[in-house]
Amino acid sequence: MTAPLLAFDRVAITLGGREILSPTSFEVARGELVCIVGPSGCGKTTLLRAASGLVAPSGGSVRRNGVAVTQPSREVAFVFQDYGRALLPWRTVQGNVGLALEAAGVPKAERGARIDGVLAKVGLAAHAHKFPAQLSGGMQQRVQIARCLAQAPLLLLMDEPFGALDALTRHGLQDEAARLVHEDGLTVLFVTHDLEEAIYLGDRVIALQSNPGPGRPSLARMLEVPIPRPRDQLTTKEHPAFLRLRRELFGFIEQGHG
Amino acid sequence: MAEWGARLRPWAVPLLLLGALELYARTVAAGSDAIAPPSAALVAWFGALRDGSLWQGTLFTLGSAALGLLIASLLGIAGGLLLGLSRRADASSTLTIELLRPIPSVALIPLAMLVFGFGLRMETAVIAFAAFWPMLILTRSAVRQVEPRLLEVSRVLGLSPWQRGWKIVLPACVPRLFVALRLGVAIALVVAVTVEIAANPHGMGYAMMIAQQGLDPALMLAWLGWIGVVGYAVNALALQLQQRVARAMGGAP
Amino acid sequence: MKAQRLPLAEAAASAALLTAVVALWWAASHGGWISRVFLPTPEATIASLREGLADGELAAFTAATAWRMVLGWLLASAAGVLLGVFIGVSTTARAYLQPMLEFIRPLPASALLPLAIAIFGLSPAMVLSVVAFGAMWPVLLGTIHGLASVELRLQEVARCLDLSRAAYVWKIGLPNALPDILAGMRLALTVALIVSVVGEMIASQAGLGQAILLAARSFRASELFAGIVLLGLIGLASNALLALAERQWLKWQRP
Repeated sequence: MTAPLLAFDRVAITLGGREILSPTSFEVARGELVCIVGPSGCGKTTLLRAASGLVAPSGGSVRRNGVAVTQPSREVAFVFQDYGRALLPWRTVQGNVGLALEAAGVPKAERGARIDGVLAKVGLAAHAHKFPAQLSGGMQQRVQIARCLAQAPLLLLMDEPFGALDALTRHGLQDEAARLVHEDGLTVLFVTHDLEEAIYLGDRVIALQSNPGPGRPSLARMLEVPIPRPRDQLTTKEHPAFLRLRRELFGFIEQGHG
Repeated sequence: MAEWGARLRPWAVPLLLLGALELYARTVAAGSDAIAPPSAALVAWFGALRDGSLWQGTLFTLGSAALGLLIASLLGIAGGLLLGLSRRADASSTLTIELLRPIPSVALIPLAMLVFGFGLRMETAVIAFAAFWPMLILTRSAVRQVEPRLLEVSRVLGLSPWQRGWKIVLPACVPRLFVALRLGVAIALVVAVTVEIAANPHGMGYAMMIAQQGLDPALMLAWLGWIGVVGYAVNALALQLQQRVARAMGGAP
Repeated sequence: MKAQRLPLAEAAASAALLTAVVALWWAASHGGWISRVFLPTPEATIASLREGLADGELAAFTAATAWRMVLGWLLASAAGVLLGVFIGVSTTARAYLQPMLEFIRPLPASALLPLAIAIFGLSPAMVLSVVAFGAMWPVLLGTIHGLASVELRLQEVARCLDLSRAAYVWKIGLPNALPDILAGMRLALTVALIVSVVGEMIASQAGLGQAILLAARSFRASELFAGIVLLGLIGLASNALLALAERQWLKWQRP
């Protein structure tokens, strides 16, 4: 039995005197796409940041491949929700993606080909020389995703990556993300407040609730999504398992408010 | 305990430097005509305070700065309003403004000297020239930056141009005008001291020059430090005023 | 300030206003509304300019002032950025030094001239040192501010990519600070010109500052105005060149 790629072992996080996450445990196996849902304030972003090492847990430990996570590492790529702020405005698309390769010390001669490869994967090959300000929101987010892919990470963490985009763009990017994950065999932890997105994308869905306390753990539900792949925006959402999960988690999330 | 640390931290390096200067001036450079220990400067400052020269100099500098700024603001704000509201005026004045603006205010010191001789008018004239341009340009952009939505509202409500200017444009500009004023205050003070150093035998700058020429380094350093303190205080007050206005007018920048 | 819908018509209006101003000048000086002791005629000014530049004196003075300004500005910019990087990347350094820097910021650079004269005497090097020292502060403060204002998200990206301190400064900190640094350099240019002129005036150094002072003292108004024109041109040219460079380096702001 192989060690899970990511393991949360009774991870608790307290920030500013407030308990954001009660002791939470779960595991993510290699190649899994796990979605985390919950109302705002339930600590899902904090959980993700703990997984990356940006935030240190107040209790318990986060382990990647069995080793405790104390700080960020290039093995883990983080897609931020506010993509506009996570891109270097003074560099072109190519330059932004290249930053990941420069950081990893990839020799200059190799960089061009790898950047082109990754840009082709996210469909931005034609825009390589544009500046972020010239791109739409969806395209900017794809640049960020491209930069994360260029890291060739073991683990991809995505924090409500499509939250700020319109529905059409969102659906397109969801399918693109699903395709990328299953093409490259990435392991993904995907945070969203959109329940349907979570069920549509995930192999598993973890539901968090806010204001944890005794008798009310942060991790409220962890459910498998037994819907076969490849999935499709129209038919998957009519699949009985989809509807069942949706009902089960929806009622729960409504309760979670508060 | 941590709060004490935070309070004292801004003073740590300056006090260290002053201490080093004190030591240096008392030992290596003892009896120098150029350097004096800060303690001697402090004594000299009190001396100037006692014999009235401190207030005389400070009042002159602040007074001429205020007068110059007043003139610059009246002309600059009026001009800026015109340029902001009238595209035609704005377009036709661009060339003239861009040719006159780069003239450094200090270049007009000899001219002002020629016309007014020495004294208040000469200094006020140079300050007014220097402060006029930023007031003009910042007022113009303040008018330009009035939320277009507000102007549409004024059209929908059928306000006359006068009502529009008075009820919407001017109030909307006020926070930015106070930002411009703050900048104007800084410029006015700097130019005032500069004119006094260069030519005008009045005010803080001149007092400092006289002290240096009279080989009184303690008094010279006292004036230098005092100029710094006055500048800092005036700028801080202007900032406070600007922030208060911004808060009162709905937190516009 | 760009011309908009009818660039030709508005350029014409611009030229017209300028011509009107010059005409007013001509009328005022010829008509004696303002004494010719204070206001020379436009032709007299141009004549003084031509004479001064042709004979070589004004040209040499202009070069001296311009060179003082540029050299001091270059030294100031280099020192300002270097020091700014050292202070800007360290939160501790900033905490200890920022208040002191904020105190020095409003101090007129020319106020250091008496101290410099006391220490170094009257010499070109003395003026240059005050020019450089005075012009350094806007660049220093701009650099520190630019480095301190890096978007939090970008700092986290740097952590996630495991960028070294040096790589962070070079790839993220300085590019982020560039607009602030350039703004500081623009201000530094103004300070450099002012201190150069004042320094020349009080330290009797050869240059336009001294020239216009002497012209005023001898009531030679046309020479005074010629000097003012040249100083205005130095200001105009240096600012225009810097604006050009800024536009080039900050192209990404207006893609």
